[in-house]
Amino acid sequence: MTTSSYLALLQGAGVSLLLALCAVAVGIPLGLLLALARWRRVPVLGRAIAAYVSVMRPTPVVTLCLLVFFVMPAAGLDLPPMAAAALALSLNTTAFNCEIWRAALIALPADQLEAGAAFGFSGWQTLMRIVLPQLWRASLGPLVSEITLLLKITPAASVIGIVDITRAAGRIGADTYDPLPPFLAATVLYTLIIALVVQGQRMLERRAAQRYGYHAS
Amino acid sequence: MLLKNWFATAVAACAVFAAGTHAAAALTLEQIQAKGVMTVATEDDFRPFEFIQDGKPVGLDNALLDQLRKTAGFKIEQNIIPWSGLLPGVTTGKYDVALTSVVVTPERAKTLDFTMPVADATQYYVVRNGETRIKSVADLAGKVVGVQAGGGSYAALADLSKTLAAHGGQLGKVVQYASFPEAYQDLSNGRLDYVINGVVNLTSLIHEHPDRFRMGTAVGAPTYAAWAVAKGNTTLLRYLNGFLAKTRADGSLYALQRKWLGTTFESMPLSATGGN
Repeated sequence: MTTSSYLALLQGAGVSLLLALCAVAVGIPLGLLLALARWRRVPVLGRAIAAYVSVMRPTPVVTLCLLVFFVMPAAGLDLPPMAAAALALSLNTTAFNCEIWRAALIALPADQLEAGAAFGFSGWQTLMRIVLPQLWRASLGPLVSEITLLLKITPAASVIGIVDITRAAGRIGADTYDPLPPFLAATVLYTLIIALVVQGQRMLERRAAQRYGYHAS
Repeated sequence: MLLKNWFATAVAACAVFAAGTHAAAALTLEQIQAKGVMTVATEDDFRPFEFIQDGKPVGLDNALLDQLRKTAGFKIEQNIIPWSGLLPGVTTGKYDVALTSVVVTPERAKTLDFTMPVADATQYYVVRNGETRIKSVADLAGKVVGVQAGGGSYAALADLSKTLAAHGGQLGKVVQYASFPEAYQDLSNGRLDYVINGVVNLTSLIHEHPDRFRMGTAVGAPTYAAWAVAKGNTTLLRYLNGFLAKTRADGSLYALQRKWLGTTFESMPLSATGGN
């Protein structure tokens, strides 16, 4: 492989990272909001969120990218490829993050909420003082897993012309007729990125352990 | 390679649906000239027509695009995208031209208008170099054939079996492959008697392994590859045809075919869809 091939792969890595970051920045907080709305059984909205999650779960990200990029312009939303890909990935990961947050919410013992009420906590105080501090620790592992999955579905965006790590590797292989080296290099890049993400998780877990005196696992 | 998999068909069907629900927004020549920009889509992994070499798009279609840029009175914006999103992008109006050698099929001609051909895409057969039993298409009766699952080679079997029936023979065992390199290997080691693929692909195979394989003749009906625009975009189609006619007249198309495809097609018809 030539220097320009490695550069193309690195450029692809930048694109993959940027897409994943956008989707994470949207998906984790929005997923939490949706999960809270479902958990509190907000009328209509709760049902709508359940329907959204049910639609997103089986929809392949490739299909989602194609829909956002080619069909949304008909509805007046004409996005450039990167924005369309970021939106498609966000739609996907938000649904899964919503389910992760919701699972942790369901697992929360009801008596804690009752105790909060007995102490005269408002709904907001219960959320900020009792629910959220436990929620993020319980959800950290699954959320990080979802981030690593998200990183590995970014190649789906290549269908609308995004050159991510995998597409860059494919192009190099198609030129040299020797696909193994670029795909091995791509695997190394994914491994490095995911190792970084997992390191971040470890760091947060250590902080939590120092602060709260136990490991949330 | 020339005809893509079922997935592309599914996406194209999706796009037809999308285009049906919404008037295609592809720009006419007048609109392009007024705006000053034409948007074209090319493929990123479609040797020898379009591929990326050292980060730069090259191949027959990219060479023609370079030439088009020099004569066009407007800017040409190129989007390099994989096959699966390409035709949907044209039917939905995201791109004005699919500037890639699309194999013209009746199915595709329903949703797209095609320019005059840029290359021949007729399906041919190839045999081992030492093959003595197969001298013409009629000898293919009863022999084991390798094709690509869901590809143009598979579609050509229908034509071939009619031809064989006319000679009183019939199609032998058909083995389907996900991609052609495996089929060539099996042909080489004797598991297959012949393989069917597009003439351009086989030309490059013979070019790379002249000692191993020998080119046969056409097994399918004459088929061509051409650029595509949205259905009914006649002004743009006429403009592109004018450009391509010029490349034929001055011989530059044939020079580029020689360079990228390793052969020239000098007797292609003026229309990719209307037969001869």
